[in-house]
Amino acid sequence: MQNLVDNTIQQATRNITASPLYSEDVSIWHHMSDALHQSLYRVLTLLIAVLPGILAFFLSLLVFALAGMLISWILRRCLTWAKFDLRVARKSGTDWAPASSPSEIAARASFWICVLLGLVIGVSAFDTSYATGVALPISLLPYLTHAVGAALLLIAGIVIARFLARSVLISAVNAQLQYARILSLGVKWLVLVLTGAMVLDHLQVGGNIVELAFGILFGGIVLTLALAVGLGLRDLVSRSLESHVEHTGERTHMPDEATTASQSIRHF
Amino acid sequence: MATANPIPDNTLATDNTVAELLVLVTAMAPEHFNGVLANLASAFSPENFIVATQNELPADVPSSLRIVATPQSNAAWSIKPVDFVNAAQFGRKHGAQVILILGPEADSLSPLALRGLNDAVSKASIDLAVPHYSLPSNAGLINSAILYPLTRAIFASRVRFPLSIDLGMSLRMAEQLSLAAERVSAVNQGEVLVWPVNEAIAAGFAADEVDVGSRAMPQPSDPDINSILSLITGSLFADLEAKAALWQRPRRAPPIRRPIVEAELSDGTANVARMVAAFQLANANLQEIWSLVLPPNSLLGLKRCSTLDPAAFRMPDGLWAHIVYDFLIAYRLRTINRGHLLGALIPLYLAWVAGHINVTASGIPAERHIEAVAASFEADKPYLVARWRWPDRFNS
Repeated sequence: MQNLVDNTIQQATRNITASPLYSEDVSIWHHMSDALHQSLYRVLTLLIAVLPGILAFFLSLLVFALAGMLISWILRRCLTWAKFDLRVARKSGTDWAPASSPSEIAARASFWICVLLGLVIGVSAFDTSYATGVALPISLLPYLTHAVGAALLLIAGIVIARFLARSVLISAVNAQLQYARILSLGVKWLVLVLTGAMVLDHLQVGGNIVELAFGILFGGIVLTLALAVGLGLRDLVSRSLESHVEHTGERTHMPDEATTASQSIRHF
Repeated sequence: MATANPIPDNTLATDNTVAELLVLVTAMAPEHFNGVLANLASAFSPENFIVATQNELPADVPSSLRIVATPQSNAAWSIKPVDFVNAAQFGRKHGAQVILILGPEADSLSPLALRGLNDAVSKASIDLAVPHYSLPSNAGLINSAILYPLTRAIFASRVRFPLSIDLGMSLRMAEQLSLAAERVSAVNQGEVLVWPVNEAIAAGFAADEVDVGSRAMPQPSDPDINSILSLITGSLFADLEAKAALWQRPRRAPPIRRPIVEAELSDGTANVARMVAAFQLANANLQEIWSLVLPPNSLLGLKRCSTLDPAAFRMPDGLWAHIVYDFLIAYRLRTINRGHLLGALIPLYLAWVAGHINVTASGIPAERHIEAVAASFEADKPYLVARWRWPDRFNS
């Protein structure tokens, strides 16, 4: 036992005297270097694994964009040849008047659909290589497609909200309603709230909370409007109904101020 | 389209019947049609004209009248495209030199007026004779505010009623209008309008007007100003857009030949306050939309107008001309939805009407005011042409 202790003490003393002071620093640097090398190796391995995916993404986008341009050009020529604009105008009249001709819209739509397809295929390729590279079951594609769908929903909702708000505003002003702006804003925010709820639902964010909140908010607005009309405009509604009954039943109503006014001025 | 023949055999003209004058009478109530036939019989000798109509003949129609049946169509307040097509078709078939188209309630036109329209084409060698009606100062206001000044400034035409509901024309003019009618019918559905004066000028044909005195003007089926203004103004804007290459060239306006006649004054002051209130409401609410269409100067002018009392309300002529031109540009550029655009014009038009009523109430003849407005449109035509060619220059 005594021998064992002596040997250990001697070995420890030899080690202390043999190692210079910087030998501990070398060991730390060695570990750090190892860690950095391993990290660099991992990142480079990941990049090497992902790089084909990135290249595939850009290649897919480029190829589909070129294909989209070609399809768009062919479609434009075909629709012009088939007098598509004329046919659409005949069907829809002049009510629907977008900034571009229908054939131009169709051509652009075909181009962007191709670009979107290229994007989806590129993302899919990237997603596959990324998942393989990191060996993790993370899939970007479903989330990205949901995000694209949500973005489209949002854009459509904003456009519809703006269109309806303007329609309501102009109609209400021409009907000389003093609360035209409030009405227009109400319609705009109703559509925007509806759009927001749809977007969140599409993104699967919030879950039941969004549905519940939207239901409460929308129901509250409708109930408020119903109460406002029922209580605030009770007299007006009853007068309107009475005059309607008189008008349809007896046909002996007296001309009101508006009728007299329109008779004294003839616009055509 | 039904093809029932309401014409009795004793008055039926055969296909090879030739006449100098073909009178196409559009669909109208029987009492009006009787009046038209009576006036035609007293204006022309029966062997010189053929009547083409879809109306049912009255029992006591003189057998000397030669009448052909046209295909049935619905009654309307204006001349429909199908009327132009029928006029050309029947005029060609019967070798007519002159074609008269008489619109609804044409029985209020005197025989002298009918003869004047015929003579303008047959003797004065013009291709399109457009009636000049004598209307009260409160009637035909869309025509006075927009149609006449715009047509006069753009096409250098002095025709006071570009959207007339009676016309006299040569056969070649009828052919031209028939083509235009088929074109607009192919492009649009529902109620569409043909602009005869614009077509005549585009084709290089001579157009002039004939004084016909007073006439009962049929009103559109929907008397709502929103639909009337949108229909008529939208149709004119579309026609101007289609003929843009033509009217941008400078044109010399023919001299004014008719004296300014004081129209019958009518009391419209009761409506002024209502129309000014509508304009003020729009000025408070539609700034967002107007600012997309109108430049800052016009918006400032409108703001100043909105502070005026109804009794003192005036819409400056230059401001009105700029507004109409800016709306025409926005229609062409599709700055906003065209339905919204024409809806946003309505309060401005009502403001012009309010100002016009105030002007006439102050003792200035209505026709003088309308001529001043038209002169403003003429003076500002370079503004329209410049904006039409370089719209972005005015956005900054």
